Amino acid sequence: MSTLNLDLKHPLLLRSLKFVAVVVLLGALAQVMRPVEQPAWEAVQARRSELPLSQIEGALGQGVVFGVLGGFRTILADFTWIRLYVAWEKREAAELDALIRLVTTLDPDSVYFWVNGARMLAYDVPHWRMDDAGGVQILPDARQRAIAEEQAQQAFVLLAQAREFHPNEPKLDLEVAQIYLNRLQDYANAAKWFRQASEMPGAPYYAARTYAKLLRVQGLDQQAYDFLKQLHQELPDGDPYAQKNIVLERIRGLEASLAIPEALRY
Amino acid sequence: MIDSFQRMRWIAANTFLEAVRQKFFNAVLLLSVALVVGSVFFQQFDFGSSELKFISDFGFGAVFLFGSILSIVLSTQLFFNELDNRTALTLLAKPIHKLEFLAGKFFGAYALMFCFTFSLSLVLAGLLFWRETVLMGQLAEGFDRGRLIRYGDVFVFGFIQWIKFGVIAAMTLFVGSFAQTNLFTIVVSFFGLVICQLQYIARDAYLGMAAGAGRWLVQGLSWLFPNFQLFNIGDQLVYPVEEPLALVTLGLITAYGLVYSVAFVLLAQLNFRSREL
Repeated sequence: MSTLNLDLKHPLLLRSLKFVAVVVLLGALAQVMRPVEQPAWEAVQARRSELPLSQIEGALGQGVVFGVLGGFRTILADFTWIRLYVAWEKREAAELDALIRLVTTLDPDSVYFWVNGARMLAYDVPHWRMDDAGGVQILPDARQRAIAEEQAQQAFVLLAQAREFHPNEPKLDLEVAQIYLNRLQDYANAAKWFRQASEMPGAPYYAARTYAKLLRVQGLDQQAYDFLKQLHQELPDGDPYAQKNIVLERIRGLEASLAIPEALRY
Repeated sequence: MIDSFQRMRWIAANTFLEAVRQKFFNAVLLLSVALVVGSVFFQQFDFGSSELKFISDFGFGAVFLFGSILSIVLSTQLFFNELDNRTALTLLAKPIHKLEFLAGKFFGAYALMFCFTFSLSLVLAGLLFWRETVLMGQLAEGFDRGRLIRYGDVFVFGFIQWIKFGVIAAMTLFVGSFAQTNLFTIVVSFFGLVICQLQYIARDAYLGMAAGAGRWLVQGLSWLFPNFQLFNIGDQLVYPVEEPLALVTLGLITAYGLVYSVAFVLLAQLNFRSREL
């Protein structure tokens, strides 16, 4: 009996029992606190930008995770953006791509990062890839076009992610429109996105004017004329940025080219 | 019972005074204030967000970082000083229960953390007020509806962080109750802090896992550590949002933190009562 008592009081056994007791008590506490934690967690999570760790694992071990989870997300995103510029200067396309994803994951609330990241992907990276493949002088047009389209697609994916965080931000739709227009010379899609951007609150006036211009480029003069007439009625009188006189000039130009009778003119 | 509270209050007051006199506390407090004020300088590196948002994020980060360091290091020092200097022996030779000793140490550290978070919140609110006033003079059209910042929220954030620092201090006392050295306690507590910060990942992970041993293991691990991401609500405060964080949510977070603080102090007592001094 005395031997049994001695064994039961063995320090290792006592320590193990204590450890098990602590584990059980903490587990029980987690269950007891669940009705308190769960609604609070749901309320906090519902309003927070997700931070998927899989997207920042490339930066693990660089002090990022601790800072990010602690609340230095904004400044870490800023310093990562500086690192991204270094990659951009060195024309490191793969690193640039990874850092754009990291920055936008760290601080998805900043439209600046999304828009400028998309610009780098759509405008800069294609040139680097073309240079690496021998240069624009010797690369066939079809290959150049394919590279431009691939990179534009990457930019579109990034901007689509951005729209999940900023559903009412016209700058994002305008950026898609600009890429279609300037990079891909796809006027139909560019027009569609300019129109979409122009209908958003806070959109710049030029989005609607550019839409009308792109309709003309596609030969859709009648559609452009109808749109500009409607636009002219909606534009405010006192705002110089609205450029109502320019819109009227374009209406007059279309009336001439469409040969609209004097009596039916706007 | 009243005597017990008196003894705890007495130990807490002494702990608080001892901590305030420590150079480490003053150095960290000064460093934190300097960092918060320095956010105006660091703003030069800002690309994405507005100046006021940047300053508030930076300030909240400083509160979290230095507050966590202070909670862990000071709680450890205050606890081990008593053991190393043998003053704990004198104290516990008197009719003072070991739980009263632990609770006194905890409340002393907690009071100190209150001073820390309140001071930093005050500095941050002052800095934001100054910058917002300057910006209102320069960009009047952006402030046509008056001030943008809800200054009360700076203190709400400070309060929630203070609750979290209580959990960290209690957790550190728990680790200290079985640890033999300062260093071990500090290192393990820092690991504990990181795990608690990352706890929600384990939680999200097991929700997506198929039933089985792996899921049980991850689920079990997530139960052992409190979820510190619950306290990271800085980005939901200060600026007007469509729906402000409900008072009920703040109450639940506070209750969660307080219960875990009490629980860790009681668990520390489980170890400390059989510890030979």
